[in-house]
Amino acid sequence: MIKTQIILAGIGGQGILFASRIFSELGLKLGLNVLGSETHGMSQRGGSVLSHLKLGNFHSPLIHTGAADILYSFAEEETYRSLKFLRNGGVCFVNLENSKRFDPAILSHLKGKKVGFRTFDANEAAAQIGFARSTNIVLIGYSVGTGLIPFVYDDIKSALESVSRKKELEVNLKAFEIGFLKGKS
Amino acid sequence: MKNEEVRILLGNVAIARGIIESGCHVVTSYPGTPSSEIIPAVVSFKKELGLDTYIEWSTNEKVAFDNALAASLTGKRAAVAMKQVGLNVASDSLMSSAYTGVVGGLVVISCDDPGPHSSQTEQDSRFYAMFAKIPVFDPSTPQEAKEMVKAAFELSEEFQIPVLLRPTIRVSHGKQNVKLEPPRILDRPADFVKDPARWAATPRFRLILHTKLNEILSKIQEKFEKDTRWNVEVGSPRNYTLGIITCSSSFVAILDLLEEFGLNEDISLLKIGTPYPLPKKKIAEYIKRHDKVLVIEEPDSVIELLINDKSKVLGRLSGHVPLQGELSPEVLYGILSQLLSDLGIAKLEMISDPELEKLVEDLDLPVRRPTLCAGCPERAAFFAIKKAFPKGIYPSDIGCYTLGLNLGAVDTVLDMGAGITFASGFYQAYHQDGNDIPIISTMGDSTFYHSGTSSLLNAVYNNARFILVILDNEITAMTGMQPTPGIGITADGSEGQSIPLEELIRGCGIQWLRTIDPYDVKELLSLLKEAREYTQKEDGGIAVIVARHPCLIRYPDVCQEKPVKVTITEECNGCMYCVDFFECPALKPDKEEDLVRIDRTLCTDCGVCVQVCPREAIVPAETKGKNS
Repeated sequence: MIKTQIILAGIGGQGILFASRIFSELGLKLGLNVLGSETHGMSQRGGSVLSHLKLGNFHSPLIHTGAADILYSFAEEETYRSLKFLRNGGVCFVNLENSKRFDPAILSHLKGKKVGFRTFDANEAAAQIGFARSTNIVLIGYSVGTGLIPFVYDDIKSALESVSRKKELEVNLKAFEIGFLKGKS
Repeated sequence: MKNEEVRILLGNVAIARGIIESGCHVVTSYPGTPSSEIIPAVVSFKKELGLDTYIEWSTNEKVAFDNALAASLTGKRAAVAMKQVGLNVASDSLMSSAYTGVVGGLVVISCDDPGPHSSQTEQDSRFYAMFAKIPVFDPSTPQEAKEMVKAAFELSEEFQIPVLLRPTIRVSHGKQNVKLEPPRILDRPADFVKDPARWAATPRFRLILHTKLNEILSKIQEKFEKDTRWNVEVGSPRNYTLGIITCSSSFVAILDLLEEFGLNEDISLLKIGTPYPLPKKKIAEYIKRHDKVLVIEEPDSVIELLINDKSKVLGRLSGHVPLQGELSPEVLYGILSQLLSDLGIAKLEMISDPELEKLVEDLDLPVRRPTLCAGCPERAAFFAIKKAFPKGIYPSDIGCYTLGLNLGAVDTVLDMGAGITFASGFYQAYHQDGNDIPIISTMGDSTFYHSGTSSLLNAVYNNARFILVILDNEITAMTGMQPTPGIGITADGSEGQSIPLEELIRGCGIQWLRTIDPYDVKELLSLLKEAREYTQKEDGGIAVIVARHPCLIRYPDVCQEKPVKVTITEECNGCMYCVDFFECPALKPDKEEDLVRIDRTLCTDCGVCVQVCPREAIVPAETKGKNS
């Protein structure tokens, strides 16, 4: 039985709520219980945005420190802030221009915790296809490509199709594909 | 509708669905986090299902409450939704309606904000249920919130009493797969039955009503004692060393922690879904079976206070539970691990990683405070206010523009409406000593419609003098873009009557009134000076400026009508004046080069910063072309 806890971190305007909707829809399609928590109101005005998502048999929508299986971070600073949520042996995907910039002490600490740490310049990849706002989907596509998450290409793609608005569907699928290919390579 | 349809719903959307499934006829609200998503979701279900539900964004919470109550008096079902501090505004009506009672079911939804995440207090709405003597349902998940709305309507009609639903923010903004059921269709033509002894009761009759209310309350308490749907024991422990009585979002968080640490068989939970009137016998019986009982509830203690014999009880009163702040899973873990260790039940494995936290702390990351959006017209207005009157007093109010704090142009934020009452109060206090200082009050359009007029009327009537700048962005922005009476669009998108701000302001007796686009900072500066002169003239008074520019999140097209692409020239010497005093997120300090740069992903081409730079180093892009 799948039990997966996902944290999505970033700042207001990066499409974190949408990214979280993709995984909620995925849970629904897989017949799993879905629980999540969102940030609204004043905290949305340029502040840190954190979305919790739990798939499987849970009761509370909140993930506690040291419990998340997967962390998606869309902004460097928010990665540092949200790493505490990740469990030993968890995996994180970080949208980062330059992976060399990431703090080496923290990186080696994560290694000790057997955390799968992947950075990828999703901004750049999204800009390349001309849709800077699809960074969120590119990073998710990338994570599927790496094969490090317990969900497969077809399921996530179909969830993405279900939650996309008609006029954005084509762009979203393209962003997903680009990310996926980068993750595989 | 498909059979057994399941959708992922936000807690507030599940509440809206519960309202619709209950066959509710009238739904009213004033927006406020964490309650704002309820009304739009009712509108969307109404449209999807082709219902004729009457839905309104009311001008404030008391107005919303009264409109819903009147519908109930005609026999219809009605719901009114607000945030917890909104219930303060509606409390006058709430208290009285508990005595007079209702006819059609009336469900009052008040969303609490432990944390607080987006509120001025951490108050516990369940105290209002106790204060007013009405029953309250306290859901723990979106699914349960939907079911409780339906039960609340039934209870309200059975006992002719308003019923409170109190979701915490983690329920309102939690999401879950929720089973949908078809809506009930209740054919109830309005039929108000006159009964002055009840609906217009004088104090003599009020005593009779109070007596009846007490009788009703004890009947409801009996009902809650027998209830096993909302008040339920979870788990079958092998021993009774420790029991936990809990409710709302804390209940599910504790349940997850017990399962994770394999403690289900050591600790039982009593989940209370109806904290008032409290099923005291059930609780006493539960406590009797245990050596110790921990009470976990938030944001305050209602159950714990109502337990008669506290000799075995641990909670806030015994210092085991923090007196403030949200009971996050980490806080709950802390409470549990300490207690389990003290009682010799278990030693829990650590969940935090102090080494990692220390490494992150050492990075000294800048605090990411909330800020007005790039291009926000309110920033331009605050900049001008601060520049015109650097030594003024700036009372402000609740909304996005509270963030004028960051520009140093907001000194006070108390509650809805106090931007004006504080201005008059400050004026009178200084004036009494013969002192005259500039007082510049700011208030948003929606807040002005909510509670600005009574404050302004009072100020005019009592000869106060100050400048009021109404920041009119033509929307209720902070809570998620709800329409205002100014634009005259109603909750379901249909046309209402627009009430222009200027007419309302003049109607309050204001003689000096100007309207301006705050993007024109220079013009606003001279207008502010003119306004100040008027407040000091012998025959002067209160000066009001309507600073009108549409919110660029809500109306992006309007705002890009005249885009001004700006660039920074070599004149920039890194003085950081624009960063410190204009605080636009698109103006980024480049510490290595000691310059300011424009973040193109955030810049909205509003062009206001051209008027800000003291060295005129920020210029429209084409100007640079000419120079170079």
